[in-house]
Amino acid sequence: MSKPSLTFALSKGRLLDEAAALLKKAGIEMASDINSRKLVIPDTQGRFSFFIVKPVDVPTYVEYGVADVGIAGRDVLLESHADVHQPLDLRIGLCKMVVASPKATAKRNYKDLSAVRIATKYPHVTTEYFTRRGVPVEIIPLSGSVELAPLLGLSDRIVDLVATGRTLAENGLEVIEPICDISARLVINRASYQIKRKSISDLIQLLAAVIPA
Amino acid sequence: MKTLTQIPLGTRVLFGEAAKKRRRIERTIFSVFEAWSYQEIIPPIFDYYDVFTKGMGMELEDTLYRFIDREGNILALRPEFTSLVAKSVATRLADQPKPLRLCYCGEVLRYETPRGGRQREFFQIGLENIGGENVRSDAEVILVAIESLKKLGIRKFQINLGEIGYFAGIVERIDFSREDLSKIKTLIDLKDVVGLKSEMDRLNLSERRQHIILSLVHLTGDGSVIQTGRHLVSNEKSHQALNNLENLYEELKRHKMDEFITIDLSEVRGLDYYTGSIFKIYVPGLGFEIGGGGRYDNLLKNFGCDFPAVGFSFSLERLMSLES
Repeated sequence: MSKPSLTFALSKGRLLDEAAALLKKAGIEMASDINSRKLVIPDTQGRFSFFIVKPVDVPTYVEYGVADVGIAGRDVLLESHADVHQPLDLRIGLCKMVVASPKATAKRNYKDLSAVRIATKYPHVTTEYFTRRGVPVEIIPLSGSVELAPLLGLSDRIVDLVATGRTLAENGLEVIEPICDISARLVINRASYQIKRKSISDLIQLLAAVIPA
Repeated sequence: MKTLTQIPLGTRVLFGEAAKKRRRIERTIFSVFEAWSYQEIIPPIFDYYDVFTKGMGMELEDTLYRFIDREGNILALRPEFTSLVAKSVATRLADQPKPLRLCYCGEVLRYETPRGGRQREFFQIGLENIGGENVRSDAEVILVAIESLKKLGIRKFQINLGEIGYFAGIVERIDFSREDLSKIKTLIDLKDVVGLKSEMDRLNLSERRQHIILSLVHLTGDGSVIQTGRHLVSNEKSHQALNNLENLYEELKRHKMDEFITIDLSEVRGLDYYTGSIFKIYVPGLGFEIGGGGRYDNLLKNFGCDFPAVGFSFSLERLMSLES
């Protein structure tokens, strides 16, 4: 078997099953169970070599060309500013990035606060969003369970992803404003795009044909 | 107080094998430059801020290391060499026979997040051909780049060759605001066809224009792309650009170097000073381009001296990261 033509980075976790299902619809199947502990998995036809990494790392692997292509959430792409091509919105991993607040203080205006304290996994996006509106923010960077922060008095608000809104509701939080829609993108290394143009444009076509409406 | 052993982000030290390798690459490339009659020019590491900002574009301007001297003048550390070479030619070498062939090697400084093998201080080696006849000097600098890579033992590489005038001709007659144009460029650069379509719908672009811009995203391939590009548009400027590109491609073909060339009309990014042919060099196995260049016919005018010019540079860090 010849060397797989493309290396492909996938996000561990929430997005993985959806990405695998989409790839399968496009006729690309992994040779072994994606939820096994293996880190590198070939596809059944020897065209791809998949590796499964933390979602925030996908843009990095692709930007540096260690992976030729990848599937990454728009949230991590916005946060990382990775310099990669993004030819397709895959319409999977759909959710929203929002500002949320405890119900009790949801009505409070930003103008009353000298600086809003916000807990988030997305410090860059959050800073940009608020400073563009002239609102000074103090960012509390967290890497998980962000909903806890306002409950424990660590922050006034949070910026996080919301799919169904259940986690927020369960923690007594509500959305006060949406920041943007999030979905997963196909990302491609700039040099790979040029050097492996044929295999990459084939992949783009295969995937474009199966993107959910 | 910070300890004296701490290093500022974006700097590094080379020693041992790495230092040897760096010097070896410099010598090898300079030996090729010299064989083509390029003479070294050693410009200063800082100059007036305005020298660098004329025509460079906002993207790079934001990365300048600026400082103020005791008279209150704004100075900057060099973020690239071309502006300095252009200034030196205009002020000191204007009356010398053309084309002037100049080459350089040294550090440049940009205040940006270190990535892609580059620190905030990184090294460029390159050349400028000033006052030469259009197609022939374009071909010459590309041939020098190819020979340099071969001499370094790099056998596989791809040069993506485009013409900035093609895209310029397409958007010239559309009444875009600066922001809209930059949004369109970003989407073309991301290769995001769907996003591009919806943005153009929002801007009420005619179906014909949408078709042209969407097709542009995929205008990459062998020499036949030039013909495809020609059928797509009718404006004078784009056609002129394609004629230039075709002549250049034919010239490279005559030197049997077309195997390395990919015609790429989808490239819309780059320094604002480029006016004609542009190219980027890729090597299999490296996720970033290792060098690039292009024609900049208006830059010398800024310094009061009207000569056409073309040049390119390699990133030494990226050349070093390739296995020899």
